[in-house]
Amino acid sequence: MNYSAIILSGGRGNRMQEAVPKQYLLLGGKPMIIHSIERMDKIETISEIIIVCEESFIEPLKEMIHEYSILKPVIFIEGGQTRQQSVYNGLKAAKEDSIILHEAARPFVRRSDFEALISNPNANVTLGYDIPFTVLTGTSKVQGILNRSELINVQLPQKFNKRALLDAHEKAIKENLTYTEDASLLFDISQEEISIQKGTSINIKITEPLDLELGEIIYKNHIINRK
Amino acid sequence: MFTCVITGAGSGIGRAVTEALAQKSKFHNFVLLGRNLKALQEVAAVIRIWGRDVMIIDIDLTYPEKIPAAIESVYEKYGSIDCLLNIAGYTDPQHLLQTSLESMETTYRINVFAPFMLIKECTRYMKRTGGKILNVASTAGMTPRPGWLSYSSSKAAVISMSQTLTEELAEYGIKIYCVSPGRCATKLRKRLAPNENPDTIMQPNEVANVIVNLIDDKEECLDGQNIVIRKQLNRH
Repeated sequence: MNYSAIILSGGRGNRMQEAVPKQYLLLGGKPMIIHSIERMDKIETISEIIIVCEESFIEPLKEMIHEYSILKPVIFIEGGQTRQQSVYNGLKAAKEDSIILHEAARPFVRRSDFEALISNPNANVTLGYDIPFTVLTGTSKVQGILNRSELINVQLPQKFNKRALLDAHEKAIKENLTYTEDASLLFDISQEEISIQKGTSINIKITEPLDLELGEIIYKNHIINRK
Repeated sequence: MFTCVITGAGSGIGRAVTEALAQKSKFHNFVLLGRNLKALQEVAAVIRIWGRDVMIIDIDLTYPEKIPAAIESVYEKYGSIDCLLNIAGYTDPQHLLQTSLESMETTYRINVFAPFMLIKECTRYMKRTGGKILNVASTAGMTPRPGWLSYSSSKAAVISMSQTLTEELAEYGIKIYCVSPGRCATKLRKRLAPNENPDTIMQPNEVANVIVNLIDDKEECLDGQNIVIRKQLNRH
């Protein structure tokens, strides 16, 4: 089975306090988004890479893809006003029945992690990692305690049946429902079965300046891994 | 079948390395880049007898902008690039006050810009499969030598470039080696030290032995270092 890979790259990265969105900042000497694209480029069953981004970044990204000698077809789709709309735009452009959904700000997903997700026998799969801290509910006052053994930290990439996720998105649009990620959306709207595959501790999302500093260490010690 | 791209194969260390690698069964395709076609054809004739396939590319390394098309033609012919050996060198030793901008530029074009372009273009293909890249620097790039400004500084650049790229290309499985030979009996050395008797110093095949060991599959731990090659000479 072949897959369309969708990479979300529409974030503004305001929390990074940089003029350039975080996914285009350099990590290990190359733009953050390139890390994931290069690894996907080596996976045989990924037939196309769809980058969902702001219109103004399409031309510079095309040039970048050429410079890094990416072999797979790369399709550029303009993002929406929200993450949910951007995913929907990407889904509509995908040609395969199954998709891998990823985000450019998670550059530490190794090729073997992508391949494990692809070889998972279930159609809908999210990466999830343990929550190592206590989670309470409430804002100004504590109102409850969540049992962390029942919780997961949702990580991308995820794998979905395209038709199922598209249908769920269309229903969400009709009913004006908003979600922050797609396993929640698919589960809540369609009650589809979604498997959880163990993520990794290095699969952090680069969000704040400190993440970028940590990211350099992760890249050096876990991706390059020269002893 | 491994494909090796080599500059400077017409003489000295480059020729010794080419002939030594060609005797190893896994290295099959040899791409020799340079402008001394007569010398390159001589080397090609020798290694073809050993069953090796040879492609000679007539290119003046002072014009590195011609390198992308050359490397593309290598990939089209062989379908992979596994090793790159940047061995060609140039020197025009002069005191600072006699060093022209043109001489400085020519030295850098051949010693720095050509390896840079070759590494960049080969990496476009090598990044899919991994590979080995070896740059020949010099002990002159590590220690000051009055009168060798252009050569020494260009070789210092080669050492630094090799160390930087070791980190930058590690994720692709590309290993970068850098060797700095000391005094070695080559034509280039004759320009640097015209009064020296070449029989009394290290010979190209001795440097080649070290390089072949680095390029061989078994070597896994010496990339990223500036490996100094010197011989203990018998003074008796």
